[in-house]
Amino acid sequence: MPYQLTRRSFLKGLAAGSALSALTAYGGLKMATPAAAVEAGYPEAGAGAKVFRNVCPRNCYDTCSMLSYVKDGVLRKVSGDPVNTFTNGRLCVKGYTYTRRVYSPDRLKYPMKQEPRGSGKWQRISWDEALEIIARKILAIKKEYGSTLPICLNKYSGNFDILHYGIEGMMSSIGYTTRALGTPCWPAGIDAQTYDFGTLWNNDPEDLVNSRYIILWGVNPAWTSIHSMRFIYAAREQGAKIVVIDPIVTATASKADLYLQIKPSTDGALALGMARHILDNGWVDGEYLKANAVGWEEFFAYLRREVTLDWASRITGIPARVIADLAREYATTKPAAIWIGYGMQRHTNGGQNVRAIDALAAITGNVGKSGGGALYGHLETWGFNYAAMTMPKPPGAVGVKKPDGTMSDRYININNFGADLLNTTDPPIKMLWIACRNPLSQDPEPQVVQKAFENMDLVVTVDHFLTRTAAWSDIVLPATTQFEEHGVNASYWHYWIGINEQAIEPYFEAKNDVQIAMLLAAKLNALEPGSCTYPTSGNLEEWVGKEFNPKILDLLGISDYSELKKGPRKAKLLTAAWSDGKFRTPSGKIEIKSSEAPKYGLPALPVYVPEKQASPEYPYRFLTPHSPYGIHSQFQNIDWMQNVNPEPYVEIHPATAAAKGIKDGDWVKVYNEIGYVTLKARITATTAPEILVAYEAWYKDLNYNLNYTVKAVPSDMGKKATGNRGLAFHDNFVNIEKVR
Amino acid sequence: MAKQLGFLVDTEKCIGCFSCEMACKNEYQTEVKPRWRRVYQLREASLPYPERNFISLACHHCADPACLKVCPVGAYSKREDGIVLHDHARCIGCRLCTMACPYGAPQYNEKERRVEKCNLCYQKIDRNEEPACVAACPVGALQLIRDLNSFPEPSTVKELPGFPDITITRPSIRFVPPRAGVQMRRDV
Repeated sequence: MPYQLTRRSFLKGLAAGSALSALTAYGGLKMATPAAAVEAGYPEAGAGAKVFRNVCPRNCYDTCSMLSYVKDGVLRKVSGDPVNTFTNGRLCVKGYTYTRRVYSPDRLKYPMKQEPRGSGKWQRISWDEALEIIARKILAIKKEYGSTLPICLNKYSGNFDILHYGIEGMMSSIGYTTRALGTPCWPAGIDAQTYDFGTLWNNDPEDLVNSRYIILWGVNPAWTSIHSMRFIYAAREQGAKIVVIDPIVTATASKADLYLQIKPSTDGALALGMARHILDNGWVDGEYLKANAVGWEEFFAYLRREVTLDWASRITGIPARVIADLAREYATTKPAAIWIGYGMQRHTNGGQNVRAIDALAAITGNVGKSGGGALYGHLETWGFNYAAMTMPKPPGAVGVKKPDGTMSDRYININNFGADLLNTTDPPIKMLWIACRNPLSQDPEPQVVQKAFENMDLVVTVDHFLTRTAAWSDIVLPATTQFEEHGVNASYWHYWIGINEQAIEPYFEAKNDVQIAMLLAAKLNALEPGSCTYPTSGNLEEWVGKEFNPKILDLLGISDYSELKKGPRKAKLLTAAWSDGKFRTPSGKIEIKSSEAPKYGLPALPVYVPEKQASPEYPYRFLTPHSPYGIHSQFQNIDWMQNVNPEPYVEIHPATAAAKGIKDGDWVKVYNEIGYVTLKARITATTAPEILVAYEAWYKDLNYNLNYTVKAVPSDMGKKATGNRGLAFHDNFVNIEKVR
Repeated sequence: MAKQLGFLVDTEKCIGCFSCEMACKNEYQTEVKPRWRRVYQLREASLPYPERNFISLACHHCADPACLKVCPVGAYSKREDGIVLHDHARCIGCRLCTMACPYGAPQYNEKERRVEKCNLCYQKIDRNEEPACVAACPVGALQLIRDLNSFPEPSTVKELPGFPDITITRPSIRFVPPRAGVQMRRDV
C-alpha cells in the first residue's frame, strides 16, 4: 500500500467528485481501509446531516424502510424509518453496516476487464470501452447465429428494486435471448398455495398480534425477519401460545412456549396427523368448509383410510400424544395462525407438505381470519408497470418458435444453471450477463457452473464486489447501491411500499441497471442503427414515475408517486388475506382437492409423499440455512460483519461428535460424492444427531462454499407459478470426518 | 443516593440479532475492531435446555467503576446521572483500565493508540432520547433503566451464569433471565 488514507481525507476526496480516481488504479481493490477518525467525545455520525428516504432492497421479508443521513455528500449513518409501522424505525445487523458497504475499499469502482478469465489479471477500462466490447460481441453473435439467443441473462434477487428490472428490459430490447427462469428460494410453496388458494397471499404480518395461537413452522424470524418478532411477542403478551416446529433449535425455537423437533421434510405427515385427530374429534369447521372449499370430503376419506396419529408419530419423530395435544390446541384456540417458512419447502416433497398445512388451516376455518391464516408470502403489492423491463423487440428479431407460430425468449432452469448452460444447443449459449446474483457462490453444484462459464465467449457481471462470480467474468461493471439511485420497493411479506431517493453521488463510476441499459442501447445503435430499442435518455427519478399506475396509486391512497417522498405507505389490502372469500382457483374456492395439480403430475389431494432418505455412505443431512449476518452471499464480506462473525462453523450434535471423535473447535470435512467443505466444529444439542448445520455465506477471503455439496435436485413444485421447480437445498446428504 | 442510569437486558426476549451492536457502530462509525457493545450467546451448559439465548453487554457504567479508579491521567469521569465517560483527549493509551475492568468494556484502539468505550449516548440522553442500541432493538429486549435506585429489583437479577463478580464494581445492569419453554427433542 503506497499510502494510507484517513477517513476524513477519503471522504473529502469523495465529496470533491472523484478526486481519488486519479490516484487509485485498480489493484486499489486492496486499497487502505478508510480509518475512522477518532475525536474526543466521539461525535454522533449523523449530526447535522440531511436525511433521505431509502429502502433496503436485498430480498428479505422485512424490506426495511430506511433513512440515510448525508453530510458534505457523504453517507454518515443509516437508521430505520419510523413511519413504517412494521419495521418500526429499526434495522437489522446487516442494515446497520450499510455505510461500510457503500464505502468499502473492496467495492468495484470502475469497469474492469480480466484476461484471461479467472486469472486475476484485471485492467481498468472506461465505460465506453466496456460497452464497446459488449456491444460488438452482441452484434457478432447475432451475425453468426442469426439471433441473440446465444446471449443468456441470469439476474435475480441481489436487488429487488423495481428499476433493477432494467436489465431484463435491456435483454428484451436487443432481441430474443436466453433467460435463467425460476426462483431458487420459495417456488414449491408458491405453487402449493397457488393450487390451494389460487395464489400466495398472507395476512398483514402486523395482524399476528391478533392471534391466540401461533405456529412458526420451518421459519426462524428471530434471524430472518426480526421485525416480525415484535408482533409475535405482543400476541404472547395477550395470552397467545407460540409453537415452533423445526428440525433445529433455532433462536426462534428458543423463545417458543413449545418447540417440536421434527424430522426434516416430514412436515406434511405432522399436518395430516393433526388433521386426522381434528376430524376424529369433531373440531372441523364444517360451516367454513361448506362455504369456502371443495374436495374436503375426499380429503377426509383419505385421512380416515391412510392416516393415524401413530403413523404421523413414526414419520415425524414426534410422540403421538404431543401431536394430539398440538392438534387440539390449534383447532380449538381461535384464531390460530401458521407461518409457513421457506425452510420446509426446500425438499423433494416440500410443496406437498405446504399443501397439507394449508389444508389444516382450511379445515379449522382459520383461513381468511384476522389472527389466523396460513402465511407464506404475497405479491399483492407488486402491481407496477415494470416499465424498465417491458421493451419491444427490434425489427427482425428471431427467437424460439412457439406452437402458435409466435416467437419467445428461450428459458433455462435457474436452479440447474450450470448443467443447462452446458446442455443448451442450437444455438449454444456463448455470452452471459449476470446481475444481482452470485451463482458461483449460491447455485447448486458450483463446480458445474464454473465449467459452463469456461465455455463462454464473454461473461459480464454487474455487482458491488468482486464476488466468486465476478472473479470468473471477463468484464465486471460496478453497480450503484440504493443510496446512489432512485427506485421503488415492495415487500413479499408486509404491506408497505417505499421509494428510494438518491442520497449521494454514485461511488466512483458505479451505475444503475437502467443507466447501463440506456448506455448500451446508445452504443449498439451507434454501431448498428436500430439494433436496440431501449431508450437512451431519462433520469432515474423519471423512470420511477413510469412504474406507477392508477391501481397502485389507489392501493397506496396517493395521487402521485412523489408523495412517497414524505414516507412509505401501507397498501390498502385486506388485513386478513382471503377474508373476502374470493379465492383465485378455477373453482373460486379453496381447493383441498386441486384441479390444477394433476396437470403437473402431482397428487390432487394433499396426501403424504415420503421424504428423501439418507444413504449408508452419506448418513447425515446437511442443512444450510440463513444466518443473521448475511442474506445469501451478501454482507458477510463487510469488515464490521467479519468482526462479529469471523469464521464459519458446522453445528454437530454431541452424540454424533463423540461417535466421530470430534471435539469442539476441531476442523472437520463435510463431504459427499460431488464435493466437500472444511470448517470448524461447534458441538451443540441445538441440532439433532443425524443433522449437521452450517450457515450459508460468502466470506471473501475464505474458500467457503456450502453449495459444493448441494446437488441440483429439484423440489416437487414451482413449475406452475415460477416456470421451474424449486431446489431441494435441504435434501443434501453428506458424511463427516475430523481432519485435524 | 445519586441517580444511576443503567441497562436492562431481557434475555427472554433477546433474539441474538446483533442489531444493537451494529447500531452502536453505525451511530459513531467506529473502527472495525472495538466493540463497545457485544452480543454473546449464553453457554448451553449453563442452561436447562440447549437453547440459543443471548445477552447484550456494553459498559455497565458501574456504581464503583474500576476504570475510573486506575486511570493515571483522569480520563474517566462519572456524571451525576451515573454515566461513566471516557475523554479521548486525555487518554494516553496505557491500558490500565482495560486490565482493571472485569467486563472488557474499555477497549484499546490500536490505530488511535487510545482506549474507547460506550458512553451511553450521553448526547442523546441529554436530549431525552434513547441510546442508539436501545432504539435499535426490534423486540424491546434492551432497555434503558432511568434510575436504578427506583428500579423494581425483584423482577430481575443482577447476574447470569458466567458473569464476572459484581461486587467488585457494582455494574449498573439488570437481567431478565431466560425462561425455557417446553422442548420435544428427538435426542432425549
